[in-house]
Amino acid sequence: MSWTDFLIVFACCALTMLACRVIPLFALKGRSLPEGIERALGYIPPAAFAALVANDLLTPGMFDAGLWPAAAPLIASLAVVVVAVKSKSLLWSAVTGVAAYALLTLL
Amino acid sequence: MLGYVAIGIPCGILCDSIGLGPLEVVMMSVLFYSGAGQFMIPNMWLAGSPLASIILSVSLVNTRQMLYSASFAPQCAGVSKRLAFLFAATVTDESYGVNTACFEEGGWSVDRAFLVNVFSQSSWTLSNVVGVLVGGAIGIPLAIASFAMTSIFICLLVTQKITFENVVAALTAMAGVFACKAIGLTGPAILVGAVVGVVAAMLVGGARRRAKGGGA
Repeated sequence: MSWTDFLIVFACCALTMLACRVIPLFALKGRSLPEGIERALGYIPPAAFAALVANDLLTPGMFDAGLWPAAAPLIASLAVVVVAVKSKSLLWSAVTGVAAYALLTLL
Repeated sequence: MLGYVAIGIPCGILCDSIGLGPLEVVMMSVLFYSGAGQFMIPNMWLAGSPLASIILSVSLVNTRQMLYSASFAPQCAGVSKRLAFLFAATVTDESYGVNTACFEEGGWSVDRAFLVNVFSQSSWTLSNVVGVLVGGAIGIPLAIASFAMTSIFICLLVTQKITFENVVAALTAMAGVFACKAIGLTGPAILVGAVVGVVAAMLVGGARRRAKGGGA
């Protein structure tokens, strides 16, 4: 990634991030968000995280070359789901995922 | 705080793989400061996404911060503008969880909450720099480092509140991503999928409320 590309992406992302973090707190002055907007915003995390997970794990035709090793990330993901539900910890989820994936692909 | 180290080092390794140096990584960690976002940028770049698609997708994921920000508005009502700004600008998924729990217990203040944010951000920045510096040296395969991000997204996904609408949002978003990829739209797949998921959840949620007779 060149400096120009980096600066464009960085500046845009940092600005929208700052706006999202700061504007609601100051605009509301203690009041709460309108119900409709709050509801729509509430749907963004499950939709966005599901899209990110699907983008990493699912590809059309991923099993064309056989079930293995294409299933390795899916099995590692199942281990992560179990750990995430039990521990609710990003740290343990990341450690589990990387360890399970490394074991499965290096075996 | 250990969580930031475990995530920050793979994030730094990924950034190193797309040719970002320590300076760029420090800029991102200090001024952008988003685990999900800082993983998404190198990952989407590696996947060949166009710049506009990266910016829009990351910005869409950023909007979840509006909910956190709004939820802290009552606590910040009595504090100075400068402290409120600094605190608001350093909230993340993880420190939001920690601080919300402390505020609920009582005896917690915005300046202490801001200190939590500062410590979190420092460990995040340092571990990212370590990741960039060791990135090339230890030769962890990229697929394994980027699976740290996948694992984090899975954790963030399964710890969402399980409501009917949220499940609809998640499943349609996944189907949307898959459909985009199937027709060759790999670049904007995340953005399109997420928007499809939110729209589907709003439609289903609206229909359910009308069916209950509660109106819009």
